[in-house]
Amino acid sequence: MSHSVRGGHTARDRTARMNHPVRGKRRLAGITIAAAAVAAVLTLIRRRRAQRSVSAAAALPNGRGPLRVRRGVAALRLAVRGGVRYASNAPRLFAAAGENRQQLRNDLALQTAEDVATTLGAMKGVLMKLGQMASYLDDGLAPSVRRTLSRLQDSVPPMSAKLAAGVVTEELGLPPERAFARWDPVPIAAASIGQVHRAMTHDGRAVAVKVQYPGIAESMAADLDNVALLRRMLRVTAPSQDVDALITELRDRILEELDYRREAENQRRMAAYYDGHPTIGVPGIVGELSTRRVVTSELSTGARFAELASWSQEERDLAAETIYRFVFRSLYEAHAFNGDPHPGNYLFHGGGRVTFLDFGLVKHFSDVELKPLISMVRNLCVDNDPEAFRRSMEEAGFLVPDAPLSTDVVVDHMAVFYQLVRKPEPLTITPDYASAVVRRFFDLRSPVSNYVAVPRSYVILQRINLGLFALLGELNATANWRTIAEEIWPFIRAPASTAIGEAEAPWLARRSAAIPGAAAAW
Amino acid sequence: MTADSYAAAVGLVERSAAAYVSGIPDDPADDGLFGPASVTWRVSGDLARPVGGLRALMMQALHPLAMAGVDQHSDWRQDPVGRLAATSAYLATISFGERAAAERVAARVRRIHEYVTGVDTVTGRRYEASDPALLLWVHVALVESSLAAGQLFGTPLSAEDSDRYVAEMVVAAELVGVPRDLVPSSVGALGSYIASVRPELRCTPAARESMAYLLDPPGMEEDLAEIWADIRDGVLATLPDWARAMYGYDVPPLTPARQTEIRQALGVLDAVFLGEPGVLEARQRITLRMRAAQRA
Repeated sequence: MSHSVRGGHTARDRTARMNHPVRGKRRLAGITIAAAAVAAVLTLIRRRRAQRSVSAAAALPNGRGPLRVRRGVAALRLAVRGGVRYASNAPRLFAAAGENRQQLRNDLALQTAEDVATTLGAMKGVLMKLGQMASYLDDGLAPSVRRTLSRLQDSVPPMSAKLAAGVVTEELGLPPERAFARWDPVPIAAASIGQVHRAMTHDGRAVAVKVQYPGIAESMAADLDNVALLRRMLRVTAPSQDVDALITELRDRILEELDYRREAENQRRMAAYYDGHPTIGVPGIVGELSTRRVVTSELSTGARFAELASWSQEERDLAAETIYRFVFRSLYEAHAFNGDPHPGNYLFHGGGRVTFLDFGLVKHFSDVELKPLISMVRNLCVDNDPEAFRRSMEEAGFLVPDAPLSTDVVVDHMAVFYQLVRKPEPLTITPDYASAVVRRFFDLRSPVSNYVAVPRSYVILQRINLGLFALLGELNATANWRTIAEEIWPFIRAPASTAIGEAEAPWLARRSAAIPGAAAAW
Repeated sequence: MTADSYAAAVGLVERSAAAYVSGIPDDPADDGLFGPASVTWRVSGDLARPVGGLRALMMQALHPLAMAGVDQHSDWRQDPVGRLAATSAYLATISFGERAAAERVAARVRRIHEYVTGVDTVTGRRYEASDPALLLWVHVALVESSLAAGQLFGTPLSAEDSDRYVAEMVVAAELVGVPRDLVPSSVGALGSYIASVRPELRCTPAARESMAYLLDPPGMEEDLAEIWADIRDGVLATLPDWARAMYGYDVPPLTPARQTEIRQALGVLDAVFLGEPGVLEARQRITLRMRAAQRA
């Protein structure tokens, strides 16, 4: 169930704002930013920043590259002026309305599909989605860009109860009051292209129901069908066939996310895979109440990420361990990667138990795609064979073959990404370490940066990697990551090394007994 | 007049947004001249607004006496963006402001007009800006342009609502000094009036020069210039054939794809506009009042 709650974004924005005091010159960037976002999200390898310029260089899917999204290319850049304000998250609507904000928000609700079209048509929905995708790459985007894009998101009011009920009726064939035993007409959260309602099924299960804005899919699809403007934004930066590839990829990703059935299927599989796991929870999907524009899942309650700040360090360490296990178990065993590391997508229950939400963006890996990743970690961390590591990198397309670099330099550049699992000892992921990883990722001064790239099929992996480090850094989490990794690495599968590891042993045994071979689960 | 005497078009979005916000009251004492149930409020919030505004300027400039008044008296070359922003502020106040505010800004315009008199060098005719005939042309150009722009790039109005809009706007003409009886109050009357004025219209050198500036302003930020090109094409597409011919612009017919693209550009511009201080809040205030009026 998607809970890309706006509150979460806002909290992040606030942090970003403190870290990056608004610059005097606020000629910033709509289209370039979105163009940069496109390139970043889809095929990012790294980003350049000349003075006053935001630019991205991206490896192209076919390995040619790098393509540069130059500041000034493009119209989208415009979307981001206006940075100075946002002094307050809740706009002052009327002089006397302070106490009445929720009512005002309800009064602003979208009443009709035409309202949706007016609010999100004419590229605005697409821009918003781009902004959301780009928001994972915190370090790569100017804060003002993210602010304006989140401003765009703030500008979308919820659906009125009637409008949301209309969508449910169309999708499920019954009005929500009859499709469900109980239905709360007031949404509990906003999703990027919909909103979440609480309800109870006729068999007594509490559920969260995500309902999509009516007409949004058609309107965004129409905008993505008419790509002259987008193409113009990107054309200066790349040969036209590459621009077309970028746009096609963007279009596919967005259209995919507009069909909730895909999300439901991802989540259903994840829930099945982790069924019975002692600390990893994935809310089950209620299939008969899920369609293209409505997805119903079990309702989970728990502490939000922000609340963890007040928890003991021991609790935070346990939560971090579970997140770590979830990410790498999913990758190595389930061959699937949830590409949305947003802090709003976790609920915490104490004792290391975590519920994982939002499977709108899941990347499935083939054996061929996964193999070089496994080789790399094995070459570097287990076999201590730098030359083999380098060859694996080249094989995966992370490194240009025969780059004029010594292998030591390459290993040195990459080491920061593997630091956690080089040695079997407890390590703390500090915020400093996390930002060092991100900085290294975007480091363009290193001679290696000219020869490294992230091929398209791994972009999402990179994205969650950075997101994961940022998250664990915020938790200041300590664990013996290496021994945990050894439990998961398919070429070792070591016995349990922690309490959580021991607790999951029965689940693991059941899984292996049931289905020999990792990917079989899928 | 040389190109050098024009200032660069810097800060257009920022200043237009500030002007717009300045016209939307926080805690209004009354609903102003039109009110939240009016068609005028809907039209004023339409996506096609920038196209309508620019088209209105192009139509207005075709009246040699109106153009001469601007040419000889306005300081717009020194501060074209400021001039546009002032017009935006005026329109926002007239449309959404309290009655008193609307009357106040209109009175100021009437006062200024008293000093705007002279002789048009092209036709040799005397003009006075307070002449109802000139004011009426300016008014009609705006009303008709808003309709035309909305039709192609915004949310088109029904025939009935179009008539209502024209009738509602009569008060705006009155406010600057046009006797009510002279002002067209239906789409049909609007058309007849324009046809009756056409023999007087011509594209003077001042009109040609200032509109060429407006359609392709020098010094505009690169990214905005890109969007501006789309809006310019939108303006040219909505002009009547005869007006386009007077300017000598030759444009290919608007394809559906190009129409969508221009709409998208307007959407991007709107997103940019929303990012400016106070714009979202101002819009929400307007929406809330319109919603309340709908419920009532």
